[in-house]
Amino acid sequence: MGLVGIATEKILSSFSVFLFLTIILLAVARRISTSVLLFSLQSAIITAEVLATGFQEKLASAYLVGILIFVIKVVAIPRAFFVLTKRLKTVHDVKASTTPSQSVFVVAVMIYLSYAAVHSYGGAVRAPGDSLAAAIALILTGAFLMVSRKKALMQVLGLLVMENGIFLAALLTTFGMPLVIEIGIFFDILMGLLLMGIFMFRISDTFEHLDVSKLRRLRG
Amino acid sequence: MKIMVDILQLLLLILGAPLVRGIIARFKARLQKRRGASIWRPYVELFKLLRKEDLTPPTSSAVFRLAPVLLFGCTVCVAAFIPVAHVSALLGSRGDFFLLVYLLGLGRFSLSLGALDGGSAFGGMGASREALISSLAEVPFLMGLVALAILSSRADITGMVAWTLHQNIFNISTVHILAFTSLAMVVLAETGRMPVDNPTTHLELTMIHEGMLLEYSGPSLALIEWASAIKLHAMLALLIALFGPWGMAAGGSGWGLATALLLYCAKVTVLMVLLSVIESAAAKLRMYLVPDFLGVASAVSALAVIFTMWVKR
Amino acid sequence: MIPVLGAGFILLFRNPRFATRAALLVGALEVLALGAVIWQVHLQGELQEGRYLRADALSAFFLMSIAFVSGIVLIYSSGYLRHTGEGRFSSPRWFYALVFMFLFTMISVCLSANLGLLWIMMEGTTLASALLVGFYNTEGAIEAGWKYLIVCTVGIAFALFGTIVLYLAAVKAGMSPASGLDWISLMNAAPGMALDPHLVKLAFVFVIVGYGTKIGFVPMHSWLPDAHAEAPTPISALLSAVLLNCAMYALMRYDVIVSRTVGPAFSHTLLLIFGVLSMVVAGLLILVQRNLKRLLAYSSIEHMGIIAIGLGLGGPLGLLGALLHTFNHSAAKSLLFFGAGNVRHNMGTLRIDGIQGISRTMPQTSAALVVGGLAIVGLPPFSLFISEFAILSEAFAQAHYLVAALFLIVLSVVFGGFAYHLFRMLCGKPGRRPENARLIPSEYISMGIAALCVLYFGVRIPHFFNVLLHEAMAVLR
Repeated sequence: MGLVGIATEKILSSFSVFLFLTIILLAVARRISTSVLLFSLQSAIITAEVLATGFQEKLASAYLVGILIFVIKVVAIPRAFFVLTKRLKTVHDVKASTTPSQSVFVVAVMIYLSYAAVHSYGGAVRAPGDSLAAAIALILTGAFLMVSRKKALMQVLGLLVMENGIFLAALLTTFGMPLVIEIGIFFDILMGLLLMGIFMFRISDTFEHLDVSKLRRLRG
Repeated sequence: MKIMVDILQLLLLILGAPLVRGIIARFKARLQKRRGASIWRPYVELFKLLRKEDLTPPTSSAVFRLAPVLLFGCTVCVAAFIPVAHVSALLGSRGDFFLLVYLLGLGRFSLSLGALDGGSAFGGMGASREALISSLAEVPFLMGLVALAILSSRADITGMVAWTLHQNIFNISTVHILAFTSLAMVVLAETGRMPVDNPTTHLELTMIHEGMLLEYSGPSLALIEWASAIKLHAMLALLIALFGPWGMAAGGSGWGLATALLLYCAKVTVLMVLLSVIESAAAKLRMYLVPDFLGVASAVSALAVIFTMWVKR
Repeated sequence: MIPVLGAGFILLFRNPRFATRAALLVGALEVLALGAVIWQVHLQGELQEGRYLRADALSAFFLMSIAFVSGIVLIYSSGYLRHTGEGRFSSPRWFYALVFMFLFTMISVCLSANLGLLWIMMEGTTLASALLVGFYNTEGAIEAGWKYLIVCTVGIAFALFGTIVLYLAAVKAGMSPASGLDWISLMNAAPGMALDPHLVKLAFVFVIVGYGTKIGFVPMHSWLPDAHAEAPTPISALLSAVLLNCAMYALMRYDVIVSRTVGPAFSHTLLLIFGVLSMVVAGLLILVQRNLKRLLAYSSIEHMGIIAIGLGLGGPLGLLGALLHTFNHSAAKSLLFFGAGNVRHNMGTLRIDGIQGISRTMPQTSAALVVGGLAIVGLPPFSLFISEFAILSEAFAQAHYLVAALFLIVLSVVFGGFAYHLFRMLCGKPGRRPENARLIPSEYISMGIAALCVLYFGVRIPHFFNVLLHEAMAVLR
């Protein structure tokens, strides 16, 4: 099989634990920059898994997708986040609405739930159970981040983590959807991020802060 | 023959402890662009302290004098459990990991009592903080070890190490990684290192471990300092033994032991460098954040235990 | 393709007046093109273009709604933008460009044969309309736009997950990866129970939550009142009348697949639950509204609930009612929003307490509001009565008495609410003399067309329309 073969196999079956670690650390991160770094680490791990899948299944499109992910999610988006943080002059605090201990507890429960879900749906998929559970845990964590973080930037980050999770789930269960669709999804995400960036500028200009929990004018 | 090897391991842990401390201090100094003291400095300090007079506060009782001895005894016992170069230890199969954790706890308890007995305000403050940290650190410590125990179906440390030795090194085990993360955090808390406690602080208000030592002098202080160095060394050896024991000798051959010893030195050096880097890079957590830190460790160790259900690796 | 090119075209014009004219031109072209497609579908049955675009009777029906509403909205906005004047927001050419992008995405939703492409375009509608919602740079608009963007993107992410699960089921059943998302292939595979029932059910749950967010079903509706209220009036009309329908269209496609696989009970029950919930909650909230456009937005949620109930009941009358209702609701809602826009211009506010006595000061607008209001609560002789009656009959026919009872109760409540609010606005002493009580031609035309539609369809459905409707129903069965 060769060294690369062994490496890819190991990657696919065991990298999920590092994803779990990034999830837990995201729950306790207290600065935006830390969270963004964790996100790019996550994306790097997912890139590794994509490339490993491509190697195993001999799919050329997987390589392309992997490179795309790397460029967009590991390099471009974190860069954009840092630039935005500087431009918007936000304070670095993540402004979570739950303490780190509570967040970690919630995340641990989510990880447990995702494992339980994977096991109950059992052999429906031909993917390593760990990684699928990691994907579901990513989705849940992304949702949790969006709900519990009060800064607009962190909400966007939560969304991105969710997308990571969905993408990983798609990768594991289907080993590649038609390339056009994948590219389309990427494009959508990019445009979405662009728009969110525009909106964040407007929010900070008009309201002079990025705390979305204070956006409560409209009610009822 | 086995007894000889085990005694030698114990002596290595005990006598090498101040050296470990010295090396870490030197690494930190170098990282912070200072020259730093010599690595043999802790030995010099211990000798100096042993020659000095042992002063006790007039309001203290026997507890004050007994505490350092008890602490030292417990720590040496703990060190006797841990295999270093050979897959056995002096007290190896006579006690399981619960005993290990609670021996450490007993040592800490006696030190806290001694500090309280000393009658100074800082002793009391340090003791109460230490109590908080140790009670919080107990959970992740135990659970991390429980996770490993479940996997290896053995309760004693040497048994766990033997099991791990038989595993393929390339099978990355989720449980092990999670347990390692949480145990590493516990080691930081137990041995009083950054980011939980600053071992080099001069400010009494920020002291946790150091605060309890303030009243001690002479041989008692030497015993306490030595005990904390042994604890650090023993914890590092524990981490190495539980998570990276490959290379340990199983038989009694001389060459095997020698190579095992060399490997051990290499691994300890790696851990020491890592510890120095973490200590230099992290700022000390404020007291109300330490529970959060240990809470994360608890959650990670809980996950490790939960994963033993599914992973079976 | 025309709307995309149109969008680019508009951007070239810097002068607002030219932009408007160009927009009208492009709009006319687009309506004609859509009409051509619809006609062809009617003649040929189905059009297929490449692997990703397809138009069948259902698409044609929805395209007709889109064409109709976008036509009158464009007419209206030509006047609307001129009315408010310059300065407060980005120029009209951006407005039209964004509108055409929005229309492009919505048309593509109706034309896609591939569920993946459907998803991409649905996400595209969120993106295209987010900027439109936040068009005015006020605090409220930005907050509404942000909420809209985030909530809908999350919802669509769930829908993506559902799509992936469905794809997984397809691939597992042996379909080739390339056609796993193709609607026709899925339809064919479904009856043979080749698709794993558990996975399909799971997929549908995610899809209904995801696309339901865009439709405005109740637990996920939080963005709707804000977005529809803060957006410029023509955009509100587009959102309420067209976007919600498109999302419903997407849901219909999934519903058919799921029904064919695991039987209709599962998906229809879910639809009924969401439908009733939306209707009841929205109906109750209508009573306490203080802002005219928010009132209309909640009414949209309620009507989407009605459509969902119709779909959930199934059966010929239920489907007929649901489909007809999508169109009727679009017409009536556009009319109401246009009226609201006028009110806003002239009275300067949308708060119901602030508007009084417009029956005297703005007779034409208030006539429009009355017509729209009566239509929207489902009174005869307006068209909504017919569709709601159909759904109601279906409920009785299937012995879903609880649903029927709730339906009637909510309708009465809504009637009361609307009557109350409208009367407060119409009667009483006029507080402020509006500057421009007369309707300018564009508004006249658009509102008139909508009103006529609503009236006429109540009495008699044109033959062509009827035929198209039945063909669409056939697709759904």
